[in-house]
Amino acid sequence: MDTVYILITGFISVVLINNLVLTKFLGICPYLGVSGRIDMAFGMGLAVTFVMTLSGTLTWMIDHFLLMPLGLEVARYVCFILVIASAVQLVEMYLRKFFPPLYDSFGIFLPLITTNCAILGLCLFLNLWGVNSLIEAVVLSFGGGIGFTMAICIMAGIRENLQMVDVPECLQGAPITLITAGILSLAFMGFAGMI
Amino acid sequence: MRSIKHFFEQSWLLIAASFFFGLLIAATNAALSDRIEMNKVTKLTSLAKGLLPQAEKFAPVKEKIEIEAFDGKPEVAAVYEAIADGNTVGWTFKATGSGFADKIELVVAVDKDFETLAGFDVLLSNETPGYGDQIKESYFRNQFAGAPAASLSLASMGNLEKIDEEIVAISGATVSSTGVVETINHYVAKIKEQFQKKGLIGNGNES
Amino acid sequence: MATNPDGQVSLYKDTLFAGLWRENPVFRLLLGMCPTLAVTAAVKPALTMGCCVIFVLVCSNIMVSLMRDLLKPHLRILMFTLTIATFVTIADLFLKAFQPRMSEALGPYVPLIIVNCIIICRAEACASKHPVLLSIVDALGMGAGFTLTLCVLAGVREVLATGKIFEIQVMPNAFVPVAALGMPVGAFLTLGFLLGLINLISKKRS
Repeated sequence: MDTVYILITGFISVVLINNLVLTKFLGICPYLGVSGRIDMAFGMGLAVTFVMTLSGTLTWMIDHFLLMPLGLEVARYVCFILVIASAVQLVEMYLRKFFPPLYDSFGIFLPLITTNCAILGLCLFLNLWGVNSLIEAVVLSFGGGIGFTMAICIMAGIRENLQMVDVPECLQGAPITLITAGILSLAFMGFAGMI
Repeated sequence: MRSIKHFFEQSWLLIAASFFFGLLIAATNAALSDRIEMNKVTKLTSLAKGLLPQAEKFAPVKEKIEIEAFDGKPEVAAVYEAIADGNTVGWTFKATGSGFADKIELVVAVDKDFETLAGFDVLLSNETPGYGDQIKESYFRNQFAGAPAASLSLASMGNLEKIDEEIVAISGATVSSTGVVETINHYVAKIKEQFQKKGLIGNGNES
Repeated sequence: MATNPDGQVSLYKDTLFAGLWRENPVFRLLLGMCPTLAVTAAVKPALTMGCCVIFVLVCSNIMVSLMRDLLKPHLRILMFTLTIATFVTIADLFLKAFQPRMSEALGPYVPLIIVNCIIICRAEACASKHPVLLSIVDALGMGAGFTLTLCVLAGVREVLATGKIFEIQVMPNAFVPVAALGMPVGAFLTLGFLLGLINLISKKRS
């Protein structure tokens, strides 16, 4: 029961309280670029969730079973980024061969995800937070992806409405999106201290 | 054979570069790792010196002190002995707990019998500026200097000047204040227990 | 290629200053937003991050430029990533050894320089196609532009949030600090308004 409690609170913490986009500033580039329409945002969110869960788990395993026992922590960053890049490459090849319609719908997002700070950031946060069990790493990675999806969908909804409003010309595009993100992060601050 | 040759033709630069970069990283690491280790220790001991000014040096405790951390996981406590003129004048250790925003890391110092607190300082905290951040302020921290190292309790109002086991919380930052008090209580109790087991301090009920 | 010495010098000058205003990586190209928002709560971390980025940019540009004739097209990005990751690791080690407090303050954002779009974009767009000297100048220009942006943003945020710069009191005592600017809200809002301001200025100019 204790484990389940830790998993649930960890999940809620990563999705709401320590939301990767709105409190840790990870994944801002795709966040600004892809949040124009809800369907694109949702697709990007799903792709990120999938890759994040996969890479989070893989990098945690490599960190705990290979790098730390052998004292090779200094090679951590190089290993992580190579694992992430390879994982994305493999996922792309696999999808293209076995699920072509799914691959087509992901479109340009998959290769873009490698340079998404959120993936590498999450792997590093897993290390920073002292996550000690595999199941916790999986749940937190999945939660990170869900948090990103939620933030990007909310943003897409707001942006779709913003298109019908009179935004001053110098603020159109990236500036108004950032200001909206700021107000969103203010709202999410209300979740702090929840658990 | 041809495919292996093709493989090497395509990737020889990658393999060579990996070796070169690996050597570069290893060399930098070998040159700097001692300094990095020392930095970690220096930070703790320099803060502890502020709490136990009579100490001349701090030596890590030789025995391995294994306690249960705040979240239930086992942890090896980082305890240092404060020494002056060859005698123990106190102990200092690192305590980790959770605050409002993130985790809080404290340096706590106690006297040599683990009876009174010499005080605490903040190693790492990410609390709200202006509210929870005030745990670093001297008006909050001074309440702990000389307080009994038994269970401290938190009160929302009271006398800041009176040094006893009642700590007045920071107004508007109850969670951060509670975090500090609970962390100190937990670590003092657990480490004292381990110390008594290993005979490093007296049991208090020796006749 | 003409080896006109005046042409070379003006090319270098042009490249150097492009990174500062015309092609400023954050304000114009909208790259590298993650560290911009994360480390600009105060000027000192911003400056440290800027210096790290300059170091990694220069080193990786030199390395990529030296290797540019040997790169296989489909392994390009992998080589870039490997190079950048190596230099970021080295920069992180130096930071941990000589500036431990800054290293803690910057936390996981130093290794995130690896995925900072600026560095990979410069390697792809410039260093892999031009000789070493031009790549170095480009790296310095872009790095300086990035550092300048970070410091401006951090300056605004730190002064308004705490009344200090570099921990020296600048604002008069009557000033009531707006603590919210030190938090994620403030980061997004400040960058958004600054971007809007830059758009306004460039539109007025043209």
